[in-house]
Amino acid sequence: MAEHGGGGRGDPGDKAREEFFSEAQELIDGLGRDLLALDAVSKGGRTDPELINDIFRAVHTLKGLAGLFGATLMSGLSHELEDVLDDLRLGRLDLTAAVLDVLFRAVELYARILAAERSDTPEEPAQEVKALLHLLGQVSQRRGGGGASPVAQYELDPGLLGVLTEYEEYRLRTNISQGVSLFRIRVQFRLDTIDSALDELKARARPHGEIITYLPTGAGGDSDSIELEILLASHAPLPVLEAALGGSYALIEEVQRRGPRSKPPPTVAPYAPEPPQPVPPGSQAPDESPEPRSTFHPGPIERPEPPAPGFPATEEDVFGAEFHTIAPTGQMPVVEPRPSAMPPMQREIPLPVVWGRETSTTSSTPSDFPPPHPPIGDVRFTHRSRATDVDDILRSIPPPPPAEKPQSYPPAAAGREMSLRSVSQTVRVDIRKLDHLMNIVGELAITRTSLAKLSDKVRLRPEMRSLANELYRLHRAFERNLAQMQNGILEVRMVPLGQAFDKLARIVRQISREHDKQVNLVVTGAETEIDKLIVEELSDPLMHMIRNAIDHGIEQREERERVGKPTVGTIALNAFQKGNHVVIEVEDDGAGMNTQVLLASAVRRGLLTREQAAELLPHEILGLVFLPGFTTRGEATDLSGRGVGMDIVKTNISRMGGIIDISSEVGIGTKMTITLPITLAVISVLVIEIAGRTYAIPLASVEEAIVFDEREVRAVEEREVMNQRGRTLPICRLWKLFGHAPLEPLEPTKNEKRFVVIAAVGNRKLGFVVDRLVGQQDIVIKALGKSLARVRGFAGATELGDQRVALVLDVAALVEEVLSGDGERLLEGRGERNEGRALETRTEGKLGDGRARA
Amino acid sequence: MAALVRRRAEQRALRRAADGQRTEYLAFSLAGEIYAVEIHSINEILKPPPITEVPRAEPSVIGVVSVRGRLVTVIDLRKRFGVQDAAIGHLTRILLVDKGDEKLGLLVDEVLQVYRLTETEIEPANVLGGDQPAHILGIGRPKDGTGRRDFGSLLVLLDLRPILEG
Repeated sequence: MAEHGGGGRGDPGDKAREEFFSEAQELIDGLGRDLLALDAVSKGGRTDPELINDIFRAVHTLKGLAGLFGATLMSGLSHELEDVLDDLRLGRLDLTAAVLDVLFRAVELYARILAAERSDTPEEPAQEVKALLHLLGQVSQRRGGGGASPVAQYELDPGLLGVLTEYEEYRLRTNISQGVSLFRIRVQFRLDTIDSALDELKARARPHGEIITYLPTGAGGDSDSIELEILLASHAPLPVLEAALGGSYALIEEVQRRGPRSKPPPTVAPYAPEPPQPVPPGSQAPDESPEPRSTFHPGPIERPEPPAPGFPATEEDVFGAEFHTIAPTGQMPVVEPRPSAMPPMQREIPLPVVWGRETSTTSSTPSDFPPPHPPIGDVRFTHRSRATDVDDILRSIPPPPPAEKPQSYPPAAAGREMSLRSVSQTVRVDIRKLDHLMNIVGELAITRTSLAKLSDKVRLRPEMRSLANELYRLHRAFERNLAQMQNGILEVRMVPLGQAFDKLARIVRQISREHDKQVNLVVTGAETEIDKLIVEELSDPLMHMIRNAIDHGIEQREERERVGKPTVGTIALNAFQKGNHVVIEVEDDGAGMNTQVLLASAVRRGLLTREQAAELLPHEILGLVFLPGFTTRGEATDLSGRGVGMDIVKTNISRMGGIIDISSEVGIGTKMTITLPITLAVISVLVIEIAGRTYAIPLASVEEAIVFDEREVRAVEEREVMNQRGRTLPICRLWKLFGHAPLEPLEPTKNEKRFVVIAAVGNRKLGFVVDRLVGQQDIVIKALGKSLARVRGFAGATELGDQRVALVLDVAALVEEVLSGDGERLLEGRGERNEGRALETRTEGKLGDGRARA
Repeated sequence: MAALVRRRAEQRALRRAADGQRTEYLAFSLAGEIYAVEIHSINEILKPPPITEVPRAEPSVIGVVSVRGRLVTVIDLRKRFGVQDAAIGHLTRILLVDKGDEKLGLLVDEVLQVYRLTETEIEPANVLGGDQPAHILGIGRPKDGTGRRDFGSLLVLLDLRPILEG
């Protein structure tokens, strides 16, 4: 159906594969984020079991995906990782720096495997996978955890202890052995919002401790609510917890240690009748509630038996999976929902059972809970209902008496239905499709122009006035809708910069570890949105800048101590929107850039003569780092100097129509500022004329346009310059550069003027002499075809309406070409390896790069 | 009825077998010569829209045009063949062809007609003597309707690949 011109590949296999790539990529990105968080937590001497669980789940999902798409390397790696992570989860393995390093390496490797899969060379990273698997084998020398259980010291319901999963038991033991207090929280949840309410509670509890497990108490329920008992391990004192979890719906009490005479918890079957535990003050003892008034929603109910607080159950119960296998025991009150009264839809409602009523102080009103959310496919749920867990539970549960057997649901059906439902309300779109749409909108814009002309023409004819008015109205409506459509498509292309920043955080950690420098990355404005393609293109330049900041900027620890700076260096990554641009700053509090060192280095490398060096302004000196082949280091370090330098960074930024500036103070730090257009697809340009030809200059790089006065032109070293408010401005006559016929002399009688459009790229400025300024326009920029790839100086072309195409100047390239003609000649003569490569890359950088592929 | 249709089809097949495989060529004129290319390689024939010149491109690139929102580089075949310039007239056309994943336009003086040529109507390029450029596949000498040689049409059959790569 939706066969789109150009890249339309309708093969469903390809499409599924694309889905696989984007989904796997998302998982890998998330994995990286979680690992970073885990790293941060573990530095504080703690472990975060939730995070390890999340990571485990991501790897597990990746394994499944990889298996589905025959990505054997990925599934193999995932399988091994899963084992290590499982050991981590269950405390059989300690989370050491070495383990973390392996995990980080795995994320890196995942990304590479994915790239290799994409380019159909899946065997490429095989060696590395092997190496990592070996490492994994080394770290996962399992250490036995456990020992004598300290759990016995606590007044915990043995029934509860019996149904803890291996993992929960481990967490309980760990917390107890660390001397963390245990709390019992009773909370009433409305059944229809239980998922979100529980999540909210978890989020609130999280800063203070860890939720070990939660079970229905079998009390306090009515037709549409249920009471859960939550076991929380926390260092916080009771009042703090009460304040944090507060609200009228939660009742918190500390779990007391048993007296010395207490027996250790028996290893009895979990459902052995136990004397009821002490109930919270104010709540009625279960036996004293002879008349449960609970009703099961929506049908009539049978009268439940007295409640059993501390009824052992697991998450599965709460969410309905495997429920029927647990509930009906001799003691348990069971309500059999009448099939007729239970429409199939409502099978999804967990707990078709009511434990008896228990009046308690935990009064709850619906307003205490957030409004219901759309169903959320709980990943944890899927994971927790793995066969092993369920089997454990099944084994520990006596079969239900046949007489009371409820109208059972298909096993786990309710639960699975919930988890199968898609979580996401979003659609992933190939950006080429958006490009295609954008092109169509561009076409419509041209139609709009013609329509406007036609409308004007008709208006000139008096006899057609009413027709003209109608046409005019239509045209206006068309224009409005078109603008909305354009904005809409642009909006779809926008993604938060955080996508790129997340990856950078990982790089910072890795580099600072490699380099034994402590660096703190502070990110602001990660939510700033920018064109998806720019985010992609931005990753590498940003990564290089950060490498540079750590390698050259941040001083060694001793040095920082000596000058009285904090030993931990800071790199700030700030992003914000500024009009139609996004500004990204990479700032470090390092040593700063010493202009004298820069100059000396540039002269030594023959990039400048001594005389030239003497003439440079401070900010021009900083700009030297953008010259190909520039470095202040004698030897390339393992971090920077890998053959790509700041010149590549600058080229990449310029290619996106962006500019980069440096400011630096010795001893204080360095700040690099990148300014980028918000989108590549639509840019603002200044339309100009040169020798009768129309060109467009991206406004992003235009500083101003002033009237050109031939008399002010001077020649300095065979280069034309003019005076721009007391500053020397080199100028370029584009007609010469482009080989057009010489311009006709102006006729002052007709008040004819030429203009100079002053372009600024980074710190460099150049004035383009043009015949006429036509005006400003927003255009859709399109790449020139491959056969024009070698033509330098044009970023692409655009349609101006009336079918005409105008070339868009690549200002960065032109400025480079005109101003650094000398520098380039020097480089070409010397042919050093790095520099040769740099130049090559640069030329490639001028290619259409497919950013506007139709 | 069905038998009649079948007989017709058989006759047609027989005739085709006698003639050999027919291939369709689009003929166009360029600086007074008639060239032809396999019609499959042509996507479209366009009346030239305004062509925007691209400074610093190689001489045979006459410029870029927009074809329904897509930029197409237009190549002047005269210049590729090293013959003199000609102004764009009202018969001038652009042949849209594929080169890899991009589209190119070939500027020709006039599009003439489509010829269906059998192998017997194609002479190898070496009739013109020794070394012929790689882009010349052969000489087409189509028969006219009466089955005689049509000496008015002498087609230079082109292989576009070397031309586009050049």
